[in-house]
Amino acid sequence: MNRTLSSTATRSYWLGRYLERAESTARLVMVNGRLLYDLPRRLPLGWQPLVDITGGPELFAELYAESSEKNVTRFLINDLRNPASLFSSLNWTRENVRTLRGIIPRQSIEYVNELYLLAREYLSEPLSRTRRVQGLSKIQELVQRIDGFMSANMLHDAHWTFLRLGNFIERADMTSRIIEAGCDNMFEAVSELEPFSDIQWRSVLLSLDATQSYNTVVQLPIHKEAVLEFLICNESLPRSLAYSLNSLRNGLRDLPRHEKILRLINRLRRAITQTEVGTLEGESLREFLDDFQLQLAQVNQAIANTYFEFKPRRRATRV
Amino acid sequence: MTINWKAYENEGLWDELITSRGRARKGAGKLCKTLARLSDSELSARKTAAELAIRSMGITFTVYTGEGSGTIDREWPFDIIPRLILKREWDRISSGLVQRVTALNKFINDVYHEQKVFSDDVLPREYVERSREFRKECLGVEPPHKVWSHVCGSDLVRDNDGKMYVLEDNLRVPSGVSYMLENREVMKRVFPELFEEIVIHPVDDYPAQLAACLRSLTPVKSPQIAVLTPGIYNSAYFEHAYLANAMAAQLVEGSDLAVGNDDKVYMRTIDGLVQVDVIYRRIDDLFLDPEVFNPGSVLGVPGLMRAWRAGKVALANAPGCGVADDKVIYTYVPDLIRYYLNEEPILPNVPSYRCVEKDQRDYVLDNLDKLVVKPANESGGYGMLIGPKATRAERAKFARQIRANPRNYMAQPMLTLSTAPTIIDDHAEPRHLDLRPFILSGAKTYVTTGGLTRVAMRKGSIVVNSSQGGGSKDTWVVDLDA
Repeated sequence: MNRTLSSTATRSYWLGRYLERAESTARLVMVNGRLLYDLPRRLPLGWQPLVDITGGPELFAELYAESSEKNVTRFLINDLRNPASLFSSLNWTRENVRTLRGIIPRQSIEYVNELYLLAREYLSEPLSRTRRVQGLSKIQELVQRIDGFMSANMLHDAHWTFLRLGNFIERADMTSRIIEAGCDNMFEAVSELEPFSDIQWRSVLLSLDATQSYNTVVQLPIHKEAVLEFLICNESLPRSLAYSLNSLRNGLRDLPRHEKILRLINRLRRAITQTEVGTLEGESLREFLDDFQLQLAQVNQAIANTYFEFKPRRRATRV
Repeated sequence: MTINWKAYENEGLWDELITSRGRARKGAGKLCKTLARLSDSELSARKTAAELAIRSMGITFTVYTGEGSGTIDREWPFDIIPRLILKREWDRISSGLVQRVTALNKFINDVYHEQKVFSDDVLPREYVERSREFRKECLGVEPPHKVWSHVCGSDLVRDNDGKMYVLEDNLRVPSGVSYMLENREVMKRVFPELFEEIVIHPVDDYPAQLAACLRSLTPVKSPQIAVLTPGIYNSAYFEHAYLANAMAAQLVEGSDLAVGNDDKVYMRTIDGLVQVDVIYRRIDDLFLDPEVFNPGSVLGVPGLMRAWRAGKVALANAPGCGVADDKVIYTYVPDLIRYYLNEEPILPNVPSYRCVEKDQRDYVLDNLDKLVVKPANESGGYGMLIGPKATRAERAKFARQIRANPRNYMAQPMLTLSTAPTIIDDHAEPRHLDLRPFILSGAKTYVTTGGLTRVAMRKGSIVVNSSQGGGSKDTWVVDLDA
């Protein structure tokens, strides 16, 4: 009987994480750009929240003097010193894909190479706004093509399960960070102004590509309580916390020795269902989300301890 | 008409398909007629079909570029005209190979045990003990069936006189068998009609035979078998992955394995540690175990030699088997066959000169412009001097090297390798080739039907190695009596 090696399981998992991270980083930068052009110039909303969301404010402060559009986009897109930058993610995606030959479909290796070359072609500096938007949307498209191609062609075995676990850990983490940015002070100054009162929650939905779904499901004007309920608890929205947790749980059920990790996931799910998330405000919301991220980090650690054991090919940055 | 056999220029050459008078050799009639009937566009369509098949089947080999990432994957170079061998000739070659490998395995076992071959004065002790491939760590180890080289790839060449010679035996980690298998798959797609008309012996049972051979190395009923690869940057990685997949064995790298305090070998899996019973290793001896050999090796598994010596894991091929792979030892193989089997060799060696012996060395130094000089322990065609094609300075350099280290060199007359028609642009030209059959030894011995035919794509060249621009052909063992 053939087994799933810890090494290839590790690489599948991180492939899932880095692909997801590349896509969400591309989406975040794009959405923020669009959002800013809608705002009056005198408003303080800028690029710093993106640095905060992607978890690198200390590193950013070390490397750059101010959070200008140029600096932040460089930090998030090109800067290889930032392990969460788009280029870093693509590098790691490529490295993991290369070492998974024979496990993932050959064509997807070529797609990943194409993705990497395209990023270098479109997103190398100096980078104009037009070029940036073009490049980022192409990246998004290509990542989605790889995702779809693998889903349709890869054997849905344990390696696939690990890849999806990587996707959903990364996704849950990113969603919780984007929600957290929604309650940031940066936005609060803006929200007192008409017609921008709900701008922060509109931008949160936009950043998660969830506006249309929100309108379909909630059928109410955009407001904080409903957005929080929707993004955290809705079980049909693919980027909600609940959906990610359910996917993690379902994936883990296919794997051996999952008991301990499932207990951690169930604890997270209970935290969501037993909290009136819509009523959370400012500090308590932030605390709730921080706690969620901490527990998610424990899930990640438990997966590593149970299945991977030894040093994988990557540098952990967040979670 | 694209291929006109009458205009095929093979004067002075021994061609595998076409006689010097432009006629098809026995058994090749249907093939040659079919090829000659193809129009320009049909021929190029078949060629394109082969290229497409190779691309879609993902048949690649890796070349080192020495820059950036260091390697690139190339599509396997393949010629659509097969090389033919009659079944009757093949049967004789096949028994000659079994004889040879049997004697070589007895020799290796002797070297690491009684060493009667020295005390009986068949071969000087120091030739073996000073070989770079001799491993004192293997003394006294008893591998199952007393077999050390489980997978051997011997290179055969046919000289101008039509006679087959053994050029060398690759006893350590020979590669190429996956390409033999894939070449056949490509040919079935390109010329399906010929497979209906001609009785061509199949080759596709090799993975099953290899798996059976590996299973015979352990008493465990359903053993866990692993193929140990140096990883994706190795030139033969395609083959490692191919064979693991075809045998339903586990493809592992050194870091996937660990040796426990119980001397057993385990692999790290998502189910936890799983014991491995047989390892088909595609890593050189010196990288196998950093505890015993190269301490800097990250490809190997610390403790693997300990596990093997304790009999807790079978290694194929066994460490130390390269001692018989040495090109100076090669010159003794006919003697070894007589000594161990009391039989006359069925397949001849290429006549060879040992530089370590004074009179032979003097001859070599006087005739460097006529000889091919080979170092004792290189493979892949590296480090050789092809005397007739070398410059005066290159020959002088080799003469110095031979004088400085005579044990490390042997020399052979330059053979005119036989040729086969090969598509060059839009017509057929003769190109030189060799043949690498694979011999499996475990509880039983098995020889592939035919083998991997490698062809030098450059006109007049005899360098067939794919790392140096060689191509390949399908090899048909054709049965006229069936």
